[in-house]
Amino acid sequence: MNKAETKQRGPAGLQLVVLGLAFLFSFPALYLIWRNFTEGGNPAELIGTRRILDPLWRSVSLALAVSATTAAIGTALAWLTNRTDLPGNRIWRVVLPIPLVFPTFIGAAAFIRTMNPGGLANRMLSELGIETVIEMRGFFGAWSVLTLFCYPYVYLPVAARLRQLPSSLEENARVLGQNPSQIILRVVLPQIGSVIAAGTLLVFLYTISDFGAVQLMRYDTLARSIFTSQLADQSVALALSLILLLLAGAIVAFERIFSRVKFTTDEALVGKPVQYSLGRWRFPAIGFVSLIVLLSTGAPLLALGDWATDGLIRTTRGGYPLTIDKEQVWESTWNTFSISVLAGLVAVIAILPIAFLVARYKSRIGSVAHSVIIATFALPGILIALAMRFWTLRSDWAYDLVNNTEVLLIFAYVVRFGSLAMGVILVAVAAVPKRLHDAGKILGVRKFSRFARIDLPIMTPGLAAAAGLVILSTMKELPITLLISPLGFSTLATRIFSSFEDAFVAEAGIMALILVALSSVLTWFLVIRKADHL
Amino acid sequence: MRLRILLSTLATALILSSCGSDPESLDGRAAEIYPGTCADGNGRSVTIYSGRTENLILPVLEAFGCETGTDVQVRWGASTDLALLINEEGDRTQADVFLSRSPGPVGYLESNDLLGTISSDVLSLVDEQNHSAAGTWIGFSGRKRVMVYNIDEYSPADLPDSVFDLTAEEFRNKVALPGTNGSFIDWFTVFMDQHGKDVATQWLNDMVDNGARYYPNNRSIVEATGRGEISMGLVNHYYNYQEQAASGNDHRAENYDFNNEDIGSLLIITAATILDSSTNVEASEDLLEYLLSAPVQQYFTDRTFEYPLAAGVIPNDALPELTALEIGSVNFDELGGGFEEASRIIEASGILNR
Repeated sequence: MNKAETKQRGPAGLQLVVLGLAFLFSFPALYLIWRNFTEGGNPAELIGTRRILDPLWRSVSLALAVSATTAAIGTALAWLTNRTDLPGNRIWRVVLPIPLVFPTFIGAAAFIRTMNPGGLANRMLSELGIETVIEMRGFFGAWSVLTLFCYPYVYLPVAARLRQLPSSLEENARVLGQNPSQIILRVVLPQIGSVIAAGTLLVFLYTISDFGAVQLMRYDTLARSIFTSQLADQSVALALSLILLLLAGAIVAFERIFSRVKFTTDEALVGKPVQYSLGRWRFPAIGFVSLIVLLSTGAPLLALGDWATDGLIRTTRGGYPLTIDKEQVWESTWNTFSISVLAGLVAVIAILPIAFLVARYKSRIGSVAHSVIIATFALPGILIALAMRFWTLRSDWAYDLVNNTEVLLIFAYVVRFGSLAMGVILVAVAAVPKRLHDAGKILGVRKFSRFARIDLPIMTPGLAAAAGLVILSTMKELPITLLISPLGFSTLATRIFSSFEDAFVAEAGIMALILVALSSVLTWFLVIRKADHL
Repeated sequence: MRLRILLSTLATALILSSCGSDPESLDGRAAEIYPGTCADGNGRSVTIYSGRTENLILPVLEAFGCETGTDVQVRWGASTDLALLINEEGDRTQADVFLSRSPGPVGYLESNDLLGTISSDVLSLVDEQNHSAAGTWIGFSGRKRVMVYNIDEYSPADLPDSVFDLTAEEFRNKVALPGTNGSFIDWFTVFMDQHGKDVATQWLNDMVDNGARYYPNNRSIVEATGRGEISMGLVNHYYNYQEQAASGNDHRAENYDFNNEDIGSLLIITAATILDSSTNVEASEDLLEYLLSAPVQQYFTDRTFEYPLAAGVIPNDALPELTALEIGSVNFDELGGGFEEASRIIEASGILNR
C-alpha cells in the first residue's frame, strides 16, 4: 500500500482496530444466521406469505410515520431551545430528553392510564365540563406514544450540532441581506441535515424493534410476531428476526446512499452560535414546547405519581405494606447509575475509532462497521442477550472470563446502543476543522498529543451527548439486564418490571419516578453542563 | 482527571456492593415465614431462574436461605425469556431450579429434554394431578381464571354462568381477551383438551365475531376495566387485588366467578422444575419441598392471594371458591404440542388485531 492509499483508506492500525470492533458488534447478526441454519429457520420460505407481509407492512408504515413526526418535532424543539430567545430554555433543555428514559412497557401503560377513557386526564377535563372520548390504540396509539417517546433521538444530536455551528456563515448570510427564515432554510438546514437524517434513522430502527409500546397499543408488528412465536415456533421466530435484520440493513444502506455526507469540514470555529429573536412567534413557540412536554413527560408522570402516592398513602393508613424496602431501592438505584455510566463511557471509547475512520478516510472496513452497528439497533434486546450468551458458551476461555460478570453486561449494552453514539460522534469528529488539525501537524505536535489537545476539546460536547444517549437508554434497558447480568444484580428497570408484571403498580410507580429523577440529573450534568462549557 | 476519580469511585463501589454480610434473622414478610435465627451456612447452594416475580416470592427464598443455611442465587425474568435462555445455555446453564408462572414454558423445556426428575418424596406432597406423571415438574401454587368486570356497568346477576355465553349479542364489543398471555394460552390449551379442538376454536372465532378485544396481558385488562374502557375480561384472579390495594375506590372493577364446572373457572398452577444438568439436586429438592411446606403455602394464600396446593393448608377467605377442574387434572403431559397448537389457533383467529 503506498502513501496516498494509506491517506485514503486510513492507517493500518486504525483499520485493524475497527475490523476487530466490527467483528464484536456482529455477534447478534452472526448468531441469527447460525441459529437459522441449525434450527431449520427458512426466511426465504416465509417471504411473500401473509404471515410476514401483513406485520411487515404494519411495522414499516408505523416506522415511517413515527420517523416523519419525530424528525419534525425533534428538529423544531432543538432549534427553539438552542438558537432562540424562548423563555425558560435552560429548564426545557433538562426536561426535553426525559421521555427517553421511560421503559416503554410502563411508560406506554402510564400514558394510557392518563389519556384513555376514564383516565386521569379525562377525569380532570370532565370536572371542567370537557368530555373526551379519544382512545389511544392501534396505529394511532402506537404512532402517538412512539413519537412522544422517541423524538429525543432526533432532538439530542440536532441540539448538539446546533450549539456547535459556528456563527460565521449565518453572520455572512445576514450581512448579505437574507432574512432569518431564508437563513434557516439555506444555511442552517443543509448543515444539520445529515444529523437529522441519522437521528431519524435511529427512530425508524427503534420503532421496528419496539415491543413494549406496540403490544400495549395492540398494534401487531413484526417484532410482536417474533415475541409471540418464540416458544411455540422457534424456527419461525428466528426467521422473522433475520428478516427484521435484513430490512434494517437495507434501510441503513439506503440512508448511506442518499445522505452521502461530506464528513470533513474546513469551517473555522468563530464566535458563539447566532441567537434568533422569536418576536411574535414567542407565544406559539411556548405553546408548542409546553404541549410536547405535557404529553410526553407530563402524561406518564401523572399516572406514575398517582400510583406512587396511592401506595405511600396506603402504607401510612396501615394498608397493605409496600413490597420494596429502602435498601433494595438504594441498591438498584446505585446499580442503575454505575452500570449505565460505565456503558456510556465504553460505548464512546468503542465508537470513536470507527467514527474517525468513517469521517476522515474512505475505508470499506469503516463503512461495513458503521452499517453493522446501526442495523443492529433494529433487533429486540432479547435477541442481543441470547446472542451474547450463545457466543460466550462457545468458548471455555470466554465463559470463564466474562460469565456472570458486569463485563458481559456492559459489552451487550454497547452492542445494543452503540448505534446511538455513532451519529453524534461522527458529527463531533467531523466538526474538528481540518485546518486546525493540519496546523498542529505542521507545528510538529505528536499524534496523540494532537488528539488530546486539539481534537478532544472540540469533540467534548458531542462525546458527552453521545454518552448521554447511551446512558439514558441503558438505564431503562430490560431484557439484556434480566438475562445476562450477574446473578442477583438488579436495576431500577428490572425492579419496575418485577413489580409491574404482577400489578404492584404503587411500587412500580415509586421506582419509575426515581428513574426519571436520576436521569434528569445525569442529563443536566452530561448534556447541558458539558455542552455549555463550549 | 475528574474522569479517573469517577472511574475509581465506580470500581470501588462495584466491589463494595458485591459483598454483604448474612443477616442473623429475617425481617418483614420473610420473617412471617421463618421468624427464627438463621442457620450457619451448610455449604450447599442453589441457583434459581424465577419467572415468578421478586415481589411475590423473594421473601420465600430468603426464608429458605436463612432457615437451611443454603446459599440462594436468583435470576429474575419473564418465564418465556428464561425458558429461552435455559434452552440457549443447554447443559451449561447456571440454573438448578426453574420456577414458571405457568405450564407453557415448562412444556417447552420438557420437549427439549432439559428437565430432570423430581424424587417421589417431593412429588407426593401435592395431589397427583398437580405434578407431571413423569415427575419433571410440580405445582406449588394456583391461580384461578375469573372474569373481571366494571361494577358501574354490570352487577353479578347480569353476568353469565359460562364463558360460552359470552358469544351472545348482549356482550358484543364488551369482552377483553389477553390473547398473547401465557396463562390465557395455557387455559385455551386445556379448553381444547376438555371440549375438543373444534368447539374451542369455534368459541374463539365467535368471540372475535362478537367484537371481543385483544389486550396484551391480565394487568392491562384489569386496569382498563377499572377505568371503564372495557366492560369485562378473562384474567387470572389475583391482579384485581393489587389494583384495588393501589387505587382504592378509583378502581371500579371486581372479579366474577363463572359456574364452578365451567372451563372459565379453571385453576392454573405455577410450576417448579429441576434442570437435568443440575449438580445441586439435593439442595434443589429441599427448595421444592420448602415451597410446599405449611408456612410457605400459608404465605402464598395470605400474602399473594394464591391457592395453596399442599394438603392441609386452607385458602384465604378472600379468594373465590376453588373448583374441581385443575390444569394438572387434564394431564398436561399428554397435551403434547397443545401449547404450540393453541398459540397458532389464537393467532389465526385474528383476535390479536382487535
